[in-house]
Amino acid sequence: MESFKRSAGRKVLSRSSAKELGSVSHLLVDAQERRIAAVVIGRGKKAQLVEWEQLSGFGPDAVMVVDEGALRPPADDRERGATEGKLELVGKRALSEGGTEVGKLDDVTFDTDTGALVELIIGDRRVQAGALMGSGSYAAVLDDSAEPSP
Amino acid sequence: MRLLMTASQIRGLPVVTVRGGEDVAEVRDVIFSPEAGRLLGVTLNKRGFLAGRSRDVLPAEAIHAIGQDAVMVLDALSLVAPEDAPDDVAHPAVERNVIGDDVLTEGGLSLGKVTDLVLLVGSSGEVVGYQIEKPGGGRGYIPLPAQLAVSGAALVVPNITEEFVKDDLVGLGATVDEFRARLGLS
Amino acid sequence: MGVLGWVIVVVIVVVVASVAFVVIRRRRRGGRVIAAKEKG
Repeated sequence: MESFKRSAGRKVLSRSSAKELGSVSHLLVDAQERRIAAVVIGRGKKAQLVEWEQLSGFGPDAVMVVDEGALRPPADDRERGATEGKLELVGKRALSEGGTEVGKLDDVTFDTDTGALVELIIGDRRVQAGALMGSGSYAAVLDDSAEPSP
Repeated sequence: MRLLMTASQIRGLPVVTVRGGEDVAEVRDVIFSPEAGRLLGVTLNKRGFLAGRSRDVLPAEAIHAIGQDAVMVLDALSLVAPEDAPDDVAHPAVERNVIGDDVLTEGGLSLGKVTDLVLLVGSSGEVVGYQIEKPGGGRGYIPLPAQLAVSGAALVVPNITEEFVKDDLVGLGATVDEFRARLGLS
Repeated sequence: MGVLGWVIVVVIVVVVASVAFVVIRRRRRGGRVIAAKEKG
């Protein structure tokens, strides 16, 4: 199992050419499907995205992209927001669907084979990723199962 | 989760989309029905320090939940243009702002002035009572349905309301049922 | 323009900015609690 925090800064290489393409700056998440949609490589204007399907492997030492051609610039506002770090889950305010702040997302774990999110770490609590209802620039919204007991 | 909040606590809260995780607006005015005892909707400001008013409004039906830290909506489509919203919310009667209203019993005794509205929030907004400043100073709470009539200047309440002025929200919450029973409304 | 001229310019800019700030903040403040009109 891998985590967002641990994989930040990891080298990204092309499997076909063994060329180093950059390093992981952010992981763009599809909140509805609760999985990683794309890996953001590099920062600022030069940042590029590679879709999860285009990875041959997400390993502990490097992220392997099938081919350098799989890298592309952000295609819409949401992807641009991702490259600017606005959608980053680590450090994001966690809000329940009832409108109560439940804390800050300290980290997120995921399955390296499928990209599926496994757990959301909020302080010393581990919440199942199934609780994630949506996320964006302001907050990650969690269903009421995540609300701490009164 | 249901909790008691005042209208002033709700004002200024961000309006956040559940699916998008975006703060799409913030709460400006709170509009309620005194006879139905419920929240009808809120008007909005845009987000941001120098941002101005928003034309869009948020009717109560479109609110997913109200909590301590945010008003939740499913998505940005919940914010509607005035022409698509109920008239009370789209064109609020600003002269009927109850803040500062004198609270007068039928017998002509002033219980104080309205300083806030108290609501039980969760997935709906039920108005529970009014927060008042008592004539000698100090805060009080009176339960709804409190008023026989309301205008922008005064609230007229049944005489027995005088016995139901509470000092805190807990007291108010506990007293509402008894008050309604006394008025023959339960 | 002498120093005095520049001082006047700065004062005018600050005043205009303050007024604009206050006007915008006033327009958005709201915070009213409005009782809807009785039906019928």
